[in-house]
Amino acid sequence: MEQARNYVCTECASAVPSGHKFCGACGAGVPSEAQTLETRYFGAMQMPGKARLIVVRGDEAMGEGLSYLLQATEHVAGREADQIPFPSDNWLSPNHANFHYRGDRLVVRDEGSLNGVYIRTRGATPIQIGDHFMCGQQLFRVDATPKDSSGPEADQTYFYSSPRRPSAFRVTQILEGGMDGIVCCAHERTVEIGREDCDINFPDDVHMSPRHARVEMSGDTLELVDAGSQNGTYLRIRGERELSHGDYLFLGRNLLRVEVTA
Amino acid sequence: MIVCSRCSKENQDHYKFCLGCGAELPRESSKPRSFSAPTPPGGSPKVGTGTKPPRRMQAAEALAAAEPVARAVDVDPSPVQAVRSEPAAAAAPLPQELAPLAEAAAPCINCGAQVPENFRFCHVCGHDLDAAPAPNRRSDIPEERVSAPAVAAAPRRSAARAKLILIQPDGSEGEAFPLGDGPTLIGRGTGGIFANDAYLSPEHSEFRFEGDQLVVRDMESLNGIYIRVEAEVPIELFDGSVFRVGQEILRFEAPTAPDASPDGTQLMGSPHQGFLGRICLVIGRETTGNCFPIPPAGIHLGRERGDVVFPEDGYVSGLHCRIHSEVGHVFLTDLGSSNGTFVRVLNESFVPKSTFVLMGQQLFRADY
Repeated sequence: MEQARNYVCTECASAVPSGHKFCGACGAGVPSEAQTLETRYFGAMQMPGKARLIVVRGDEAMGEGLSYLLQATEHVAGREADQIPFPSDNWLSPNHANFHYRGDRLVVRDEGSLNGVYIRTRGATPIQIGDHFMCGQQLFRVDATPKDSSGPEADQTYFYSSPRRPSAFRVTQILEGGMDGIVCCAHERTVEIGREDCDINFPDDVHMSPRHARVEMSGDTLELVDAGSQNGTYLRIRGERELSHGDYLFLGRNLLRVEVTA
Repeated sequence: MIVCSRCSKENQDHYKFCLGCGAELPRESSKPRSFSAPTPPGGSPKVGTGTKPPRRMQAAEALAAAEPVARAVDVDPSPVQAVRSEPAAAAAPLPQELAPLAEAAAPCINCGAQVPENFRFCHVCGHDLDAAPAPNRRSDIPEERVSAPAVAAAPRRSAARAKLILIQPDGSEGEAFPLGDGPTLIGRGTGGIFANDAYLSPEHSEFRFEGDQLVVRDMESLNGIYIRVEAEVPIELFDGSVFRVGQEILRFEAPTAPDASPDGTQLMGSPHQGFLGRICLVIGRETTGNCFPIPPAGIHLGRERGDVVFPEDGYVSGLHCRIHSEVGHVFLTDLGSSNGTFVRVLNESFVPKSTFVLMGQQLFRADY
């Protein structure tokens, strides 16, 4: 006595091989679950070849540890987004960022948000004047040194300025609400940021490492260098950016980790 | 740097005890080095025309050296006497209320009557002599009426009622420039001691008397006029107020927030508990260098101590001044610094007796 090795037609009891939509003997329809031998996962989280976002630090309403599977073509995150909503974070635009696939790669695109998308940098990253970055809870902008406006008047009166040093660029802290905070002109082509003994110090910022990051002008290029900080240095992306497994992103107050499962 | 004689540990200049062994460090070295070690100027202006760049340090050096002179002159620091013109009062040791009816008399600025020196109110018209007249209010009154009684009632005074004494870089008193009752215009065009100061505008300032008060007006000069503020007396700061600490020119800016986004998104940024404003280092007409926001608790400024430090400016005292807030207003207070804190005159201001005035790169004392 043996078990039939195929699906058995419910009309005529003939064996129907997998892949057939109709019974070859009687023409009766074959139910869809019997048509293929493809094994399904118990849960979508087992899905290979796709990515997900884990909320490491998150929205009060949505909670931490939540994970979002990125199985569709496009996934919009934002304060009023359907797929990845962060309803209580007013630092997020209604539609803030779009996660989509290009070929096999996951790509994040800033949807013209007010506050942007920040990605954790590793080592030294080339940056430009006007770029924004985050260390700990602090937000900064890299600015050009303004044009000198201390020359003499037409009547040969000299302008009395405070003592100055040549400075290649400056780093400006941006306060919540958009005001400029600390401005630090580079000393010898470097501005270092940390808790203590740096050019800009934040002794009260518990998420900042003692020596967290620095902005350097090497040759003619500006670099943002993370000095091995515990929580990382985040650079605002321009336009879009490919993501890899283990990348960290800040969307407003929400910190997300990218997991690519294949 | 102080090297401990007991354990050879190197200590910072302001330490009183050795960090290594706790031994008391020599006192002399723990004083601010303002008097002795001038730092070279950080940025001399560009010379585009072939003229020799003006020497930057003069005023600061004079400032440093003038301190002992200033102490000697400030015989009586009482603010009441400081605002009244009483040649005899400085010498009189008795408190005003106990002094006998003084022979010396000064004219009442309201009615011109001769009022004995020790009267607080005019015995003819009842005017409160301690009440300082505001310059704006006084300027409404025709000029003759303000100055005529004063001149007529004080015939013993010569045409020069005050002198601007130049304080030289070595601290000694230089030439004195006389100031009369009427307006006296001072600038590079005045010549004399002002001729070679390239930081003075051709028409820089105007001094005049209003009653017993010397008043200075800024003639829209490029670099302005700075008046030394009294130690421990808070001076209110407004948006755009400029003050000078050592060689540093600082501007106070009231907080301003950009407009909110129409979709209700807030601009992200570093968290904070609000700010009183911020101070910015002035390095050009429209250019500032380093800036610091002032938290609600206020900040201290100094060469070595405080929240904002100027380690390279030897004319800044270890702890120099502070900025704090009271009842919604922001104040600057000099903390007894060696070289003083100077506030830039906005339009015009009283010049109290024996006050130091910075104009261009030169330091003066207004004696009257």
